[in-house]
Amino acid sequence: MRSKAPFLTFFIFVVILNLLAIPDANAEELDVFGYFEPQYIFLYKDGASYLVNSDKLRVDLQHSIDGVEFGADFIYNLYFGKKNWNMLDFFSSEIRSEVPDGMRSYFLYEFKDTLYLDNVYVRMSNPRIACTFGKQQISVGTGYFSNPVDVFNLKDALDPTYEQPGQNGARLDVMLSSRTSFMLLYSPIAADWESSGKLLRLKVGLGHFDFVLTGYEFQDHLTDFYSLSVINQRRRLAGFEFVGELFGLGVWGEGAYNFMESSDNFYEFLIGTDYTFQSGLYVLLEYHRNERGKTRYEDYNINDWIRFFRGENKTISRDQMYGMISYPVTDLINLQLLSIFSVTDGTAAIVPVIDYNIFENVDLNIMGNIYTGSEGKVYNSKLGNGVVIRARVYF
Amino acid sequence: MRKVLFVFVLIVCFRLIAEDVEEKITAEEIIETMTETFNPEESDAVMEMTIITSTNQERTFAYRAYSKNRGEKSLMKYLEPGRVKGQTVLMLNNADDIWVYFPRTKRVRKLATHAKKQKVQGSDFSYEDLGSSNEFIDDYNSVLLGKEEKEEKLCYKLELTKKKDGDADYSRLIAWVEKGTYIPVVISYYYEKDRDLLEKELVLSDVRTIDEIPTPMKMVMYNRLDNTKTSMKFRELTYDVNLSDDLFTEMGMKK
Repeated sequence: MRSKAPFLTFFIFVVILNLLAIPDANAEELDVFGYFEPQYIFLYKDGASYLVNSDKLRVDLQHSIDGVEFGADFIYNLYFGKKNWNMLDFFSSEIRSEVPDGMRSYFLYEFKDTLYLDNVYVRMSNPRIACTFGKQQISVGTGYFSNPVDVFNLKDALDPTYEQPGQNGARLDVMLSSRTSFMLLYSPIAADWESSGKLLRLKVGLGHFDFVLTGYEFQDHLTDFYSLSVINQRRRLAGFEFVGELFGLGVWGEGAYNFMESSDNFYEFLIGTDYTFQSGLYVLLEYHRNERGKTRYEDYNINDWIRFFRGENKTISRDQMYGMISYPVTDLINLQLLSIFSVTDGTAAIVPVIDYNIFENVDLNIMGNIYTGSEGKVYNSKLGNGVVIRARVYF
Repeated sequence: MRKVLFVFVLIVCFRLIAEDVEEKITAEEIIETMTETFNPEESDAVMEMTIITSTNQERTFAYRAYSKNRGEKSLMKYLEPGRVKGQTVLMLNNADDIWVYFPRTKRVRKLATHAKKQKVQGSDFSYEDLGSSNEFIDDYNSVLLGKEEKEEKLCYKLELTKKKDGDADYSRLIAWVEKGTYIPVVISYYYEKDRDLLEKELVLSDVRTIDEIPTPMKMVMYNRLDNTKTSMKFRELTYDVNLSDDLFTEMGMKK
């Protein structure tokens, strides 16, 4: 849908827009808002410089009639500069040597202009129950850089707060008391109950803590380059989350145990803490273990890299540390320093960030990324060091 | 003639007794009355917050603010500008529990109490300044320093010193509370680590009676260290509401 039928998507969007524009005595006005986001990525890699430029337009619609809310947004992405890449160019020479020349085209990737409906949903609610149908944002987990319990979204640890694409599903939220609620989600795949996603989450607030239990069954995909196949198997996830406060520090954690139908079961967990000093300096630390990751960098293979890039596995190495320091230098400028450290192979990505609210509705965001590792390790310079300049104009 | 003289003496006596009672009012009683006046049972307001930076740039935010149980529960939903529209902050237990909802990612994040020190949208108000209704009672010991004219109003002058086990982010406060209305006129906030260093100053003005409750319609927080200021004023306000507890929940944030 994303790339094949942009004009059909646009047509549907215009029809919806027109339907909603029909006046109704009980209806609130149609709310139209969104942003335009030009972005420039300057990349320095293997002695050469590259520029990738994208222009993104997101238009949101919201409309409510008597407790029924309609929401949608469409996204139009245009790309300029170097649009064609080969994923192999980011791998070490050792891993590249595993790929026969005839298969290099298998790793080609092109940034294609896209127009698509990112979210489109209807939500019916009373004060204690809400039903949402359609493509919608589903965000779970208490972690900042990564979420072991969240199998819906692919968080980029270098840019962890960036919005995620919508997920198709039927969802029921029920509030049992002011701090106790549950959520049921059915995410259909080809009308097949077995392979479709089924999620249950129970959230309870106790004192200054929130606790969540999650159960999720869905279809897991794992690419196997060596057999040129994709392993599809049922995955059952049992998850636990908490967030609260201990000795004045913010603390949180989440863990998931994954029961796999035809491969090894594995666990993943993350724990984190944060603190704000009187000066406004904010410090955050997280530790993340993924049993699916490798314990020795000599064992990283092409499957690990492909699965990581495709989002099938959250990390290549087993143990990661994440850190963030943030300081508001003025009311409008915030400086951040993010660091992602692979404990397994001792490499790191360092990301300095400047956030500047340049005008009332315009944010400017400048991010650098520096990889410290040598070839073959997780955060290696082969990935290319660079700068991202992103502006966002809201309307 | 004797009757008239008797009534006159009686009035004088009553007046003297009344003044004596008023003179014997303690700092705690003033703070309690002020907190009660300042935090009505329930409120529903649309507020406008304007930040003026040290380089004289202006940023204006509008948000809908609901409050219940004399400020023990509060919910702020941003209406303007577009970049923060829909962001919602829920504060329970006098801002000891804070959740923030981000509408673009539909994510709810729980913040620890240290986050109360963070500036609200880069303003000179912290979450603690906005959400903690009974901080003056819970976190400070108060002493009445006397009476003084402030902003052309006769005020009680009070010093509030941070309790040893208090959560407050300031070492002490000096508050001028108007005699009669018990509305604070000026509150000076002193830096946590230096009790003589003036950090912020809150000036309240334009007192009007809304639903029989005297209310300062305008508040300006001056940050004396950063040389910035943030003004807040009510666009709409009513105390005559019956807010459901369901509003002050995670589901209420997403409405």
